[in-house]
Amino acid sequence: MTLGLTGVLLLGGCTPTVKIEPPDKPIVINLNVKIEHEIKIKVDKELDELINNDELF
Amino acid sequence: MKSKILVLIAGLLLSLNAFAISLQDAKAQGLVGEQINGYLGVVVNSGEASALAKSVNAKRKAHYEKIALKNQISVDDVAKLAAEKAIAAADKGHYIQTPQGKWIKK
Repeated sequence: MTLGLTGVLLLGGCTPTVKIEPPDKPIVINLNVKIEHEIKIKVDKELDELINNDELF
Repeated sequence: MKSKILVLIAGLLLSLNAFAISLQDAKAQGLVGEQINGYLGVVVNSGEASALAKSVNAKRKAHYEKIALKNQISVDDVAKLAAEKAIAAADKGHYIQTPQGKWIKK
């Protein structure tokens, strides 16, 4: 038991116990819904301008 | 020289004829109507109406393409959204197309 603990301490002394590794893949947050919504509002606004053009509609 | 002038005059007359009717007049007279694909359709077949539809639709398409490119969506999607709006905004008595392809008076 004591031997084991000493071993762990010794090992601990030699190798860093805390390692922070950056994830190998980028963190992806899916915002498709929000983006689609924004595009729809933008397209909507642009189309409203078109509709009011007497030569087009 | 003389024939060139004649061609020019003929061309002018033809182009004047093609645009003799305005879009708003054509709509009021029931010659053209709003299709469900976002483009103007010919209700009463005539050279005048189809020439108008062709010219208006070319302009619409250019605008749709611009909006589509700007927002990274397809031209068809833009056209469909435009159709919804155009049909909703059509005046009473103007022709609109049903999803079955029939012309009805709004």
